[in-house]
Amino acid sequence: MTVIEAEGLTKLYGNQRGIEDATFSVQAGEVFGFLGPNGAGKTTTIRTLLDLIHPTRGSARLFGLDSRRDSVAIRARLGNLPGDFGYGREASGREALHLLAGLRGLDGLGRAEELARRFRADLDRPLGELSRGNRQKVGLILATFHEPELLILDEPTGGLDPLMQEEFLNLVSEERERGCAVFVSSHELDEVQRVCDRVGIVRSGRLIAVERMEDLLGKARRLVTVRVADPAGLERLASVPGVSDLQVEDGRATFSASGDLDAAVKELAAHRVLDLEVVHPSLEQVFLGYYQEEGEAPR
Amino acid sequence: MSAQVGALLAAHLRDRRRSLLAWGLPLGLMSAFIVAIFPSVEESLTKAIQGYPEGLKEAFGIGELSNVEQYLHAEMLSLIVPLAVGYLAVRAVASGLAGAAETGRLDVLLSAPVSRRRLCAAGFLASAVEVIEVLALTAALALLGSVLAGAGLRAGPACAGFASVLPLALLAAGLGILVCGVSLRTSIVTGSVAGALVAMYVLDLIGKLDSGLSWVRFLSVFKYYGNAIEDGIEPLAFCGVTAVAILLAAVGALLFERRDISG
Repeated sequence: MTVIEAEGLTKLYGNQRGIEDATFSVQAGEVFGFLGPNGAGKTTTIRTLLDLIHPTRGSARLFGLDSRRDSVAIRARLGNLPGDFGYGREASGREALHLLAGLRGLDGLGRAEELARRFRADLDRPLGELSRGNRQKVGLILATFHEPELLILDEPTGGLDPLMQEEFLNLVSEERERGCAVFVSSHELDEVQRVCDRVGIVRSGRLIAVERMEDLLGKARRLVTVRVADPAGLERLASVPGVSDLQVEDGRATFSASGDLDAAVKELAAHRVLDLEVVHPSLEQVFLGYYQEEGEAPR
Repeated sequence: MSAQVGALLAAHLRDRRRSLLAWGLPLGLMSAFIVAIFPSVEESLTKAIQGYPEGLKEAFGIGELSNVEQYLHAEMLSLIVPLAVGYLAVRAVASGLAGAAETGRLDVLLSAPVSRRRLCAAGFLASAVEVIEVLALTAALALLGSVLAGAGLRAGPACAGFASVLPLALLAAGLGILVCGVSLRTSIVTGSVAGALVAMYVLDLIGKLDSGLSWVRFLSVFKYYGNAIEDGIEPLAFCGVTAVAILLAAVGALLFERRDISG
C-alpha cells in the first residue's frame, strides 16, 4: 500500500526555494531515508506533508488522502518527531503524553511506559530540566507510543548517545516489521545506510535521486584491486566499459568500476589472478559523489 | 465542548496555574488596600475632588467619591484592572498559539488529529477561564478587605464591577488570536494588543475631552465598558463586546488555519 505519494511538491518562500518539484512515494513497511545537508529542503518537505506549511504547487497524498484537505484524518494515523524537538520548559513528558493521548482519543498511554524503560527516558521531570538527548527520547516516545501506521522522523538521533542510537535503529526495524512506513530525514549517513530500504537525495531544494539502498551502493563506483601472476596486457582493462582510473604497477592493477563487473572479470580471466579485492563505497562516498558531480560541497 | 478542546483547555490551565496567583493576588491585594483605606480618606477626598476642574473630572470619569464603590471604580476599575486583565487575556492566548510555535509545542500538537480551529477555540476559552479566575480572586480579596476594615463595600455592585471587565478582556483575547493569524511571535502579539488597548483608552479620553471628536469613542472598547459598579452591567454592551470578541477570534482562527507554521 502506498502511504506517501508526493507529486511535484513545491514550496517556495518568495524567491527562495524550499523544495521544488519533489515526486516520490513511500510504501507500507518501508523505511525511506530523506538525505541531504542542512538547508537542502528536508524539513520543508516534512512540514508540507504534515500540512504545517502549504505547498506552492504540487500535491501530497498520505494514505490516499489529500495532505491539505484531509490533514486531521491523516494525522490520526501518523506519529511525528519534529526536528529539534521542543515542548516548552514546564511540562513533563508524561503531561505531554496525556495531552496527546487525549487528542488522539486514547484511554491510556499505549506503550509509552515500555518505550520509556527501553530508552531510559524520564517522563516525570519537566522537559526544561532535561538534556537535549533526554528530551529527544521523550519526543521519540510521543511520536511512537500510539503505534502509528506512518512515522515521520526529522533528524531523529540528534543528541542521542551511541547506545540509544542503536536502540532507535532497532525500534525503526521493529516498526517496519509491524508494517509501519517510516519517513526519516537525516544527514547521519551511517544510520540511513543501516536502516533504510530506499533513499531520496535532496540538494538545494531538489530531489536529485530516489534509489533502493542496494542499487545506490551497487551503482556507485567500486574500487577494484587485482594482483596477477602475468601482468602483460593488463592495460587492456582501460578499454573495458565502466572501468576508469586504471593504474598498473608490479603485477597489480587498481581501477574504479561502475555498473556490473562482468566485462572486467572476463578480461581478467585471460590472466592468472592471485588476489582480487572489491571495495564498495559507503553511502557517505556515494552522497558526496552526488554533490561533487554538481560542483557543490554539502554544508 | 469537544473532548479535544477539553483536553487542550485542561493542559493550558495546568501550564498557566501560577497566573492566578501572579495576577489575581496583586490586583486583589491592591483592591483590598484601596477599599480598606477608604473610610480614613473619604472626607479629604471629597474636598479634593470638589476642587478639580470639571473637564478633568469628566475626562477621567471622576464623579463623586462619596462611597467605597465609587472610590474602587476610580482607583482600580476605571483603568488598572481592565488594562492588566486585558493584558493577561492576550498573554494567555499568545502562550497557547504564538508561544507554542516558538517552543516547538505547536508542531507536536499539530502532529495529533486536532484542527487549528480547535486550538484557537481552546486558547480563547482558556483565556476566558483564566480571566474569570483572576477577576473572582480580585473581587473576593476586595470584599475581604472591606469586611476587615468595615468599609461597607456591597458584594453585588462589586461583583458587577469586576464582571464587567470580562468582555473587554475577551476582546483582547480575540484581538490576540487575530494577530496570531498574521504573526506567531509572542512579543508582536502581546505588544500589538496591549498597544491597541492603551490606544483605545486614549481615544476614549480624547472623545470625552473634545466634544467635536466624541465620535472617536465609538472606536474604543472603553466607551462600552462603563461603570458597572455604580450603574450595574449594561447587558447590550456586555453581550455586544463579547460578540465582537468572538467574531475577532473566529476571523483569527480562519487566518491561523490558512497560514504557514514555520519551524
